[in-house]
Amino acid sequence: MEKRMESSALTDDRSRRRRAAGCMPWRKYAVIYKSVLLESLQYAANMVMGFFSYFIFIFIFVKLWGYIYQTPGELIAGYTKEQMIWYVMMTEMIWFGSNAASVAGEVSGSIRGGNIAYLMNRPYHYTLYVLTKYTGEWSVRLPMYMMFAVVIGTVMVGPLPRFPLAAVPGMALCVVLGLTINAVFKICISLLSFWIEDATPFQWLYDKLLLVVGTMFPVEIFPIALQPLFKLTPIYTVCYGPAKLIVDFSSKKCVEILAAQAVYLAAGGALMLLIYKKGVKKLYVNGG
Amino acid sequence: MQAIRVENLSKTFRVKRKEKGMRGSIKAFIHPRIEEIQAVNGVSFSVEEGEMLAFIGPNGAGKSTTIKMLTGILYPDGGRVEVMGIDPTKKRRQLAYEIGTVFGQKEQLWTHLTPYDNFRFFGAIYDLSEEETEARIGELAERFGLAAFIDTPVRNLSLGQRIRCEIVASLIHKPKVLFLDEPTIGLDPVVKENVRELIRQMNREEHTTIFLTSHDVGDIEKLCRRIIIVNAGQIVQDDSVEHLVSHYLDKSPANMQAQDRACAVKTGNGEAQARTLEEIIVDIYKSKEDS
Repeated sequence: MEKRMESSALTDDRSRRRRAAGCMPWRKYAVIYKSVLLESLQYAANMVMGFFSYFIFIFIFVKLWGYIYQTPGELIAGYTKEQMIWYVMMTEMIWFGSNAASVAGEVSGSIRGGNIAYLMNRPYHYTLYVLTKYTGEWSVRLPMYMMFAVVIGTVMVGPLPRFPLAAVPGMALCVVLGLTINAVFKICISLLSFWIEDATPFQWLYDKLLLVVGTMFPVEIFPIALQPLFKLTPIYTVCYGPAKLIVDFSSKKCVEILAAQAVYLAAGGALMLLIYKKGVKKLYVNGG
Repeated sequence: MQAIRVENLSKTFRVKRKEKGMRGSIKAFIHPRIEEIQAVNGVSFSVEEGEMLAFIGPNGAGKSTTIKMLTGILYPDGGRVEVMGIDPTKKRRQLAYEIGTVFGQKEQLWTHLTPYDNFRFFGAIYDLSEEETEARIGELAERFGLAAFIDTPVRNLSLGQRIRCEIVASLIHKPKVLFLDEPTIGLDPVVKENVRELIRQMNREEHTTIFLTSHDVGDIEKLCRRIIIVNAGQIVQDDSVEHLVSHYLDKSPANMQAQDRACAVKTGNGEAQARTLEEIIVDIYKSKEDS
């Protein structure tokens, strides 16, 4: 009798906890974020090598665009030389600062290798866990790359002309949403590993599309006929939109990009949850 | 109350087969040959609340697949499962609050954090308040003797210390059922005994149901009264450890040497008992393979 009462008290305790969790389900994700932040801070020094690669990359583009722009004030695809170089610096900053290993290789690797079994038997949603972990990782990397980009950008090409400091919160929001949308799509591709043996080729295609169209070169560089098509892809919301906003800010453009990002995030998020729901039933764990 | 109820549980895996060499690879690419492997085949059993059960079998017998179906990681192809009255296939996240898992060969802790930070992390994951988490950490740290290394990053801990921390992390939310998959693998005899005593203590004091898989006969004898042996996805024996020893030897009267060792069981010679049970288990595995 005493044991039964004890057991019932425990069950009540658990129900109470679950009810409390229903009121603030974000708390566990906040703790995951904090734990990743603690862990990522220990690797902050490892970023020095990344800075070196970033610098080489930017140096090549500074020289390339310096050669292409022959007269001061010349416009190519609507960009001045400074804007073009700052555009590349911003997109590359997003690219380098948001190393997406945790949403790409790690997810598909853990599905293929069976490690997912030890991550999904917790009272959180696995995809949101991955997304939070990724956010914790770029929260350390991105600000460091941003500082580095601002320093080398200012030294190599000078400050961005007519940069509106008051618009920084809007720009930051666009960058954060862009990173989140990118992560959602990369998780969707990784989750295909539930059905196919290796999702890496799909990741490769997605990455290269994003790198060539939108990261190295703005969409306006490409043929006019292709531009509307590119603007319908994640390129617009992930890299092109936020970077364009930084180099050539307007409130109208900011609202447009934010609206497109909201649509992409809602659709991408729903797709991610659906793929996970269907895929998890297909899970095959090696070695039992 | 039954903590675990399993009825006619089945799981089939589809595995690709490929012939040798380049020719086989090309053939498999054009016309892949898929074979179905019945990992778990019509398994039924139940476990009472507070019971300590050993679920054992040779490699590839279906033990881990069964555990993964009980914890909601894998979806069964057939049959029914209930753990603490919850269907893992329908309410996996709700079930997570009721169970704890320790996989001896897998690290669940964040290796760059200290055990203390890990416990706080797991406390939040299981929706414990700050106060509840602190109280629980204090209680378990004392019971498991973690004070000396609770602030050392997990990556710097010895295997024995890490396993103790893994068990504490899985107990932080007071689970009603604890699934232990080879919890003492790779540990030295002293640490093994220590871990076993702690598991026994949890069972005694918190009435936690223990579902143990292990290839270490010492774990089984020292922790469990009941044993389920699986082979080729089916249950071949479901008995008490004590009855298994006497009953199995009664059926092999020709083996006088084994009978002698059975006497050692009755006289309480621990070493002889361990060898005897191990040999019995091996005989059961082999008899199933022969049949």
